[in-house]
Amino acid sequence: MDTKELERIHVGIPKMCKDLAAGKVSRREFLRTTTLLGLSAPVAYALVGEITGEEMIPQARAQEDPQRGGTLRISMPVMEITDPSTVDWSQKGNLLRMVIEPLVQLGADNIARPWLAESWEASDDLTQWTFRLRQNATWNNGDAFTADDVVATFTRWLDPATGSSNFGRFNALQNDAGDGIREDGVVKVDDHTVQFNLRTADLGLPELMTDYPALITHRDFAGDFPAAPIGTGPFVMTDYAVGQRASFARRPEGEYWNDGFWVDGVEVIDHGDDTNATLSALRSGQVDLIYEMQIGQVPAVQEVEELVLYETITAQTGVARMHVTEPPFDNLLVRQAIQACIDHDLLLELAYEGLGVPGEDHHVAPVHPEYAEIPRLAQDYDRARALLAEAGYPDGLDITIDCVAAPTWEPNTCQVIAQMVRPAGINLTVNIMPGGTYWDRWTVAPFGFTSWTHRPLGVTVLNLAYRSGVPWNETGYANPEFDMLLDQANGTYDVDERRQLMDQLETMLRDDAIIVQPYWRAIHTASRNNLRGFELQPAREFHLQNVWLAEA
Amino acid sequence: MVIFLAKRAAYMVLTMIAVSILLILLLEVNVGTLPTRVLGPYITQEQAAHWLEAEGYNRPIYVRYFEWIGDMLSGDFGESTRFREPVSDILWDRLGNTGILAFFVFAIMVPLSLGLGILSGMKEGSRMDRSISFLSVVTTSVPEFASAVLLSTIFVFALGWLEGTVGSGSAFNWTQMILPVSVLVLYGFGYIARMMRASMAEVMQSPYIRTAVLKGLPYRRVILRHALRNALIAPFTVIILQINWLLSGVIVVEFFFSYDGFGALLLEAAQNTDIDLIQACAMVAVVVAVGTQTIADIGYTYLNPRIRFT
Repeated sequence: MDTKELERIHVGIPKMCKDLAAGKVSRREFLRTTTLLGLSAPVAYALVGEITGEEMIPQARAQEDPQRGGTLRISMPVMEITDPSTVDWSQKGNLLRMVIEPLVQLGADNIARPWLAESWEASDDLTQWTFRLRQNATWNNGDAFTADDVVATFTRWLDPATGSSNFGRFNALQNDAGDGIREDGVVKVDDHTVQFNLRTADLGLPELMTDYPALITHRDFAGDFPAAPIGTGPFVMTDYAVGQRASFARRPEGEYWNDGFWVDGVEVIDHGDDTNATLSALRSGQVDLIYEMQIGQVPAVQEVEELVLYETITAQTGVARMHVTEPPFDNLLVRQAIQACIDHDLLLELAYEGLGVPGEDHHVAPVHPEYAEIPRLAQDYDRARALLAEAGYPDGLDITIDCVAAPTWEPNTCQVIAQMVRPAGINLTVNIMPGGTYWDRWTVAPFGFTSWTHRPLGVTVLNLAYRSGVPWNETGYANPEFDMLLDQANGTYDVDERRQLMDQLETMLRDDAIIVQPYWRAIHTASRNNLRGFELQPAREFHLQNVWLAEA
Repeated sequence: MVIFLAKRAAYMVLTMIAVSILLILLLEVNVGTLPTRVLGPYITQEQAAHWLEAEGYNRPIYVRYFEWIGDMLSGDFGESTRFREPVSDILWDRLGNTGILAFFVFAIMVPLSLGLGILSGMKEGSRMDRSISFLSVVTTSVPEFASAVLLSTIFVFALGWLEGTVGSGSAFNWTQMILPVSVLVLYGFGYIARMMRASMAEVMQSPYIRTAVLKGLPYRRVILRHALRNALIAPFTVIILQINWLLSGVIVVEFFFSYDGFGALLLEAAQNTDIDLIQACAMVAVVVAVGTQTIADIGYTYLNPRIRFT
């Protein structure tokens, strides 16, 4: 592909090629950014090979020929779903993705690839995006998949009454009053072309479309998915019982657009909150794949020959977040004092057996392409005590952190934090509660420990959780300067420039001390050894197009 | 006898009323969180208030109490917010599953523990007695969660002989029941065996047994016709009370083996603040507890003439 052709896809791509050749950007940064700008993943991988002279192998593919047939049995919680755009758990996304699909899919290599969209291109200033849709996709009720479905879905998401986290996710499509979609925000160009006109530039638009609440529903969708499970996806839902099981059967031959999806059906079984039961079911061949496992179960899986362990480093994390309007956390000095007590390396070692990367209290991970390295804070009890005294707590402080009981890494982390703040005179009680109770109050609790899943871009999480007033802003943080810088970062595709903006955003977030972010965790899962083609995606999304079952 | 039965029945009803009042008072604390549970975490305060009004939660507590009791008596247990189904649809299903588990446990545990208890109590202090006593004390001292982990580590992980959970997939397989039944039998049999042993040993020392032996009756006949009938009275109560434990007290085992039973349902209802389901489960548990207690009392009275005629 010559420079002119690359320029036609996006003017920024030729410069990215030069920067890659000069060593200014890494291969990973190049891949991530050029694919967002509309370059297809195979071409991007080939360019890296051409420019650097080193082959970069895309996702590993199974060497054997896939076999059709069999039912894939997965152990995963079967949670309650009504509206796919308001779901708040990856597990729900995995159930839904069997039936409905996103425009863009995020691969296990963290690269965005077209899915229901066939390709896209962005204007030079990243405010206008044109998505071409797949022409051979159909809904399982017989309707053709068209631009009308996309426009209707986005209009629903951008209606605050829907209560979708997509309202914050796609805030660049909100009107100026913030009470709905922009008039020309999502426009049908023809039956299979949709144009997005953003209020502010956003390089991450395609990646936002990969997130689990961003699955496209039918233009007539009324709000209750299990009541009318109409989708474009590879399977139809045949059974759905909350807390027990969900079953899916492959759509008839030739009806579905993708040639993959080798299994005839998928059965999802809920084994409850006990991860021992899940692993026992896998060991005894009652299921082929499990959704997740505890860090302490890794050695058990390694011991058993019939099981395969999957591990990946991610931007999955948890944050001990403080609500800035709730005393005593409305006092910056108190928050900074807590932060000053933390030794992130030790925390990772003690709470997660060292399997991850230490956090830096700003929720942007080293695996994010725009991550900027800023000087790390060291544990400093003298500073912590001085800050507390200045805040009016010279004799220490009694506080409580809310935390879910399972998975155990969360309460374990809180316990270690409680030990770390003790020498500064902070008496931290860990209030462990069932998941259901915690998630009822996660955005309002004064001090709570919240797990956050992997998101491909650092700015995605910042937009979701720290922008003023968005639904998932659990700290009550509202900083206009932060919002403005974030808008700029969203609209900058030059990797270097973006990194400088990220430097400021990360520093601002860390110094405002609204979160203690202990570490980025490696995640694990396991399958039977007859399962082929499965890759552990960093956000724990199950992509089943290459998965098949060999003879046991 | 009629007066006695009437008294027991009246006590039973009184206990249930007391528990039901306690239950509605305890759950009243959580009413405020109900709208978020049903309508999702992003609802506004107005939506929450509207929901509470529409569902009748703003009416006085006594009105709701009588309505609830009336509904329950007519078989309407309300709607589960977790499962989005009528509570009665879930409840009987789960209770049935637990019944199956309890049946297997009972069928093995009762003959086993009675047999061992009799063998042990026949000759107090013998090697057989000491071995059985040791075994029953050890197994009863190991909590269910520990023996569950131990047994599944050995038979599921190390040897790969047994299946680790019950009811995964649609096909029911009796081999899946082996582990949960074993854990419960191991935990429960020692208690009954110890009771049986104590009762047997006591009877064996009584004058009429000595008389029977000295009279020259065959030992087998002394045990079966004379000793056993009297020795069974005390363990009978314990055995009946096991029904209560098996129906509502096996939460750990059901949770561990992912068994869709009543205990696991109770836990899920509590974890998800599913008020209607908690109320129904609690009332069923109370009925089972009070019911078995009453049966045990009546049975004991019937078996033991010393109580019946005083």
